[in-house]
Amino acid sequence: MFEDTIIAVSTPLGFGGLGVVRLSGKKSLSIAKIIFKAKNNKNRFLPRKTILGNLYDFKNNEIFEEAYLTFFPAPKSYTTEDVIELSCHGSPVILEEIVRQGIKNGARHARPGEFTLRAFLGGRIDILQAEAINDLIHASSLKQAKISYHQIEGALSRKIIKLRSQIVQILSQTEASIEFPDEGFKISKNTIANTIEKTEQTIDKLVKSYDLGKTLAEGVTLAITGRSNVGKSTLFNTLLEQERAIVTPHPGTTRDYLRESLKIKDSIFNLVDMAGLDNSSHPAEKEGINRGKKIAASADGILLVLDSSQKASPEDYRLIRKYRNQKIILLHNKCDLPSKMDIKKTIKLGSGMPHLEISALKRTNIEKLKEQIHSLFVRNDIKGNEIILHLRQKLLLEDIQAALLEALRVLKEGFPEEIIVEEIRKIQPLIGQMTGEIGADEILDNIFSRFCIGK
Amino acid sequence: MNTTNDYDVIVVGAGHAGCEAACAVSAMGLSTCLITINLETIAQMSCNPAIGGLAKGHLVREIDALGGIMGILADETGIQFRLLNRSRGGAVQAPRAQSDKALYRTYMKKHLEKTQNLALFQGIVTEVITKNNKACGINTLEGYKLNAGAIIMTPGTFLNGLIHIGTHNYSAGRANEPASRKLGEHLKKMGLRIFRLKTGTPMRLHRETIDWDQFKAQPGDKNPVPFSFRTKKKLKNKVDCYLGYTNSETHKIINNNLDKSPLYSGIITGIGPRYCPSIEVKVVQFPHHKRHQFFLEPEGLDTAEIYINGIATSLPLITQKDILASIPGLDQAEILRPAYAIEYDAVVPTQLYPTLETREIENLYLAGQINGTSGYEEAAAQGLMAGINAALKIKGEKPFILRRDEAYIAVLIDDLITKGVEEPYRLFTSRAEYRLQLRIDNADKRLIKYGNQFGLIRPAEYEDYQIKQEKLNKAKHFLQTEKITPEGKETITLKAHLKKPHVSYRDVTRDKQPDVNLSKEEIRHIESEIKYEGYLKKQAKEIARIAKLDKVKIPEDMDYKKVSGLTAEVVERLENQRPGNLGEAKKISGITPAALINLHIYIKIRQKNRKRSKGTC
Ligand SMILES: Nc1nc2c(ncn2[C@@H]2O[C@H](COP(=O)(O)OP(=O)(O)O)[C@@H](O)[C@H]2O)c(=O)[nH]1
Ligand SMILES: [Mg+2]
Repeated sequence: MFEDTIIAVSTPLGFGGLGVVRLSGKKSLSIAKIIFKAKNNKNRFLPRKTILGNLYDFKNNEIFEEAYLTFFPAPKSYTTEDVIELSCHGSPVILEEIVRQGIKNGARHARPGEFTLRAFLGGRIDILQAEAINDLIHASSLKQAKISYHQIEGALSRKIIKLRSQIVQILSQTEASIEFPDEGFKISKNTIANTIEKTEQTIDKLVKSYDLGKTLAEGVTLAITGRSNVGKSTLFNTLLEQERAIVTPHPGTTRDYLRESLKIKDSIFNLVDMAGLDNSSHPAEKEGINRGKKIAASADGILLVLDSSQKASPEDYRLIRKYRNQKIILLHNKCDLPSKMDIKKTIKLGSGMPHLEISALKRTNIEKLKEQIHSLFVRNDIKGNEIILHLRQKLLLEDIQAALLEALRVLKEGFPEEIIVEEIRKIQPLIGQMTGEIGADEILDNIFSRFCIGK
Repeated sequence: MNTTNDYDVIVVGAGHAGCEAACAVSAMGLSTCLITINLETIAQMSCNPAIGGLAKGHLVREIDALGGIMGILADETGIQFRLLNRSRGGAVQAPRAQSDKALYRTYMKKHLEKTQNLALFQGIVTEVITKNNKACGINTLEGYKLNAGAIIMTPGTFLNGLIHIGTHNYSAGRANEPASRKLGEHLKKMGLRIFRLKTGTPMRLHRETIDWDQFKAQPGDKNPVPFSFRTKKKLKNKVDCYLGYTNSETHKIINNNLDKSPLYSGIITGIGPRYCPSIEVKVVQFPHHKRHQFFLEPEGLDTAEIYINGIATSLPLITQKDILASIPGLDQAEILRPAYAIEYDAVVPTQLYPTLETREIENLYLAGQINGTSGYEEAAAQGLMAGINAALKIKGEKPFILRRDEAYIAVLIDDLITKGVEEPYRLFTSRAEYRLQLRIDNADKRLIKYGNQFGLIRPAEYEDYQIKQEKLNKAKHFLQTEKITPEGKETITLKAHLKKPHVSYRDVTRDKQPDVNLSKEEIRHIESEIKYEGYLKKQAKEIARIAKLDKVKIPEDMDYKKVSGLTAEVVERLENQRPGNLGEAKKISGITPAALINLHIYIKIRQKNRKRSKGTC
């Protein structure tokens, strides 16, 4: 019934340790076969059988993540179309990459509520459920953005509106030069090229702001690091107030990382528990340690845990030195036990980094720690001018950018104006998904107000 | 066809719309009466002495391919020809010609007089007679009554026309021609919603009182391109146009006299076209422009009248004279006819079906300025479509509705009936979604089959077309198979080479030529098809995708109020327009994608419920 195959992350970003990307439509299976290679090498997708495999960036010929794939053939699927579900670690970067690969291979990003809409139109859900999704469909992406991020709504819409008017300007310059060859104004191709370049820069800035936006939308990533057995997993569980990580008295229990979101006041933090960063010879542990190091290096903040019931080891000092230039809180854990550590020395080495004595086990100073996390890591420099983007918006902007660059190329190669317009027109439905579509009348309005037409 | 009627179809008004309508109906074998106020002003060009231009020239080509007459007459009576936008691609090139106005009138009259099945009649129509909300005849001021199966109204600016010169105004349809006041009132009474528009025309000057040395000549093309596929003779340029400019003195005079302009003193309430503003509007709106250009265009060979294109105004005659006095070369110019503005009634075009029949009154068709358009070409295109559709209806055949990807004519009509108009509507190429497809060089390929089907194109003309296609196919095949090795580059097909910018058909066939001889026109066609190929293919896919929406029918008894999530405004628009399918609904202005999805859902639910209830009983 629908021609396009749609794709989207179907677990909310930044929540839970698992992420699911869903594809629906005729091309689901064929797209999955391109981006996913089963471990058993057969790539046979049996209905409703979950198989393990690698996600594959076929263009760069590299594996970028391990994932589970389940194929739900039509009509016995949520949308009644062929559906593919890919589940993997909930890292937003990975999920985004899967969506991007899907789009590269012929899917398009789903609009809000579109899976549900298809489910309804396929007869999978009833009228009442459909009524409920009506709101979802109704919410334009811009509105959606407003609801989710009301505190900074104005900035994004202002930027998008500015972008929109720049595109109207490109079109009206080009169209005016086509429609009114006798009017005595000359709009050179250079002028048009300049306008396109300026617009492209606007978008580039917007797209580049995405990572910042991601932090806001998806929370600040906090890595809990430290040597083995210092109480990282205990702290992780204590902060989350649930038994998520396995805690044992044996070092090396946590071999991979765990990721959960933690809400402090209105802000969301992605708390990552990982393997202890000591030297280990166990291969599985080594792998975990390497991952841990990577996560710590790219985290927005670090909670470095020391066991104050033990003497500080050279490894502890090494870690302090290594992370002291990052946003960090130094935690002296197990303060319920008698201290054997020269706490002052570790603080001095950390050259004034914020620090706190806590007991993860006994919950000592945990509320204080939460407050420190909030005041230290939450971004309060985000004011009216900063913007945030959804992945969907970012991908749209990237498409617009690509169309502009193509128009520029075509222009510079010497193709005539009407071809340039064709390239720019590709942007219209894209911009229409973020704000109002640009119609012919609007361009003519703009021409008449800017150029004196009528010889 | 119908023995109780005087005629099958009556066309009211012999302007550009009416003439095309009457010719189409009679060529389709139906008896036709064309009634007009004055037989001397048949096909009068009320404003500038020119036909064509961007989008308008496209329209003329399409009219011609469908078997209309404007193209042939424009070629016959043209005195200077240009193809615009020669530096750009084929899609945005269009012919424009200066016409000999008197000759155009005479030729059209002659053509009508010798047309079979067509009766010309001088009279002033005051009423459309209706029975059960169906139009079935007309009454005239002279007391005649005529019956017909369908009425096509093409009254131009004559409906309650009001001419303004300065603060002075008088009732007229065109300078010194009586307006149709009774008819205007009558249409309102019939339940049609009316709104007011405004347009204007500049002064006509005496050729011998202009100092031509002050102006720059604008000659026609060396190789004139005709409008009509059927014009075989070589066209000749007989006159030049001249370019001139206003100056700061002119603008001072205008600014000082704005209080005497009915536009600025609030007397004129109708909305004027922004693409054709009067000189006072230009001066007020663009105060930083030191000068505005204008063209001096002869009105014909046998007249001394010169049209001053660019200085339309409603300022009083005395100010018009002051304006001329401020422009070197026109300082001694004598005004033969003053410039004026005219307000007139138009019918809100969203009340029309795509056939141009009114939704309110069956068998009543409207075409031309009455539908809120401006331009001879726009009028002619509508006239032709109204004529064809009225004839088809009387014959009991399927209506003829073109798609937006098929013709500018469709863009025009579709815009009118789905979006309505706020100012006199003029066609622009940028209004077309599929501009690269709608070209002058393929108008025949797109449309001649219809002209042939309706009997508007003669068999011999259709044969010519088919021969031409064979020739073109041969040439295309040649370009696809023959190879070339551009200097220092890889060997590629001629076609691939021709796709590059700045490479012409001549360039790629320098060494090897196909065994067919192509005319310049045919070469332009080949170049466009090949250069745009990638875009055309993509658009063809999109067109097919959209066509699917057309397949989702909206039930006739649809109650839009029941569809959840539609705003009151959207409901009102849908109720007014009553689209037949989702594709049509999509085109109505203000219908958002969300509204469309809600509508789609509702239709699906209904269908499902219907099926269910059918299944149980
Ligand atoms: N007394 C005390 N023991 C703790 C505290 N935090 C962790 N532990 C214990 O230290 C051991 C290692 O803890 P774990 O969280 O697995 O450390 P990890 O290897 O850093 O993740 C466990 O036996 C915990 O019960 C604390 O604050 N006080
Ligand atoms: Mg642990």
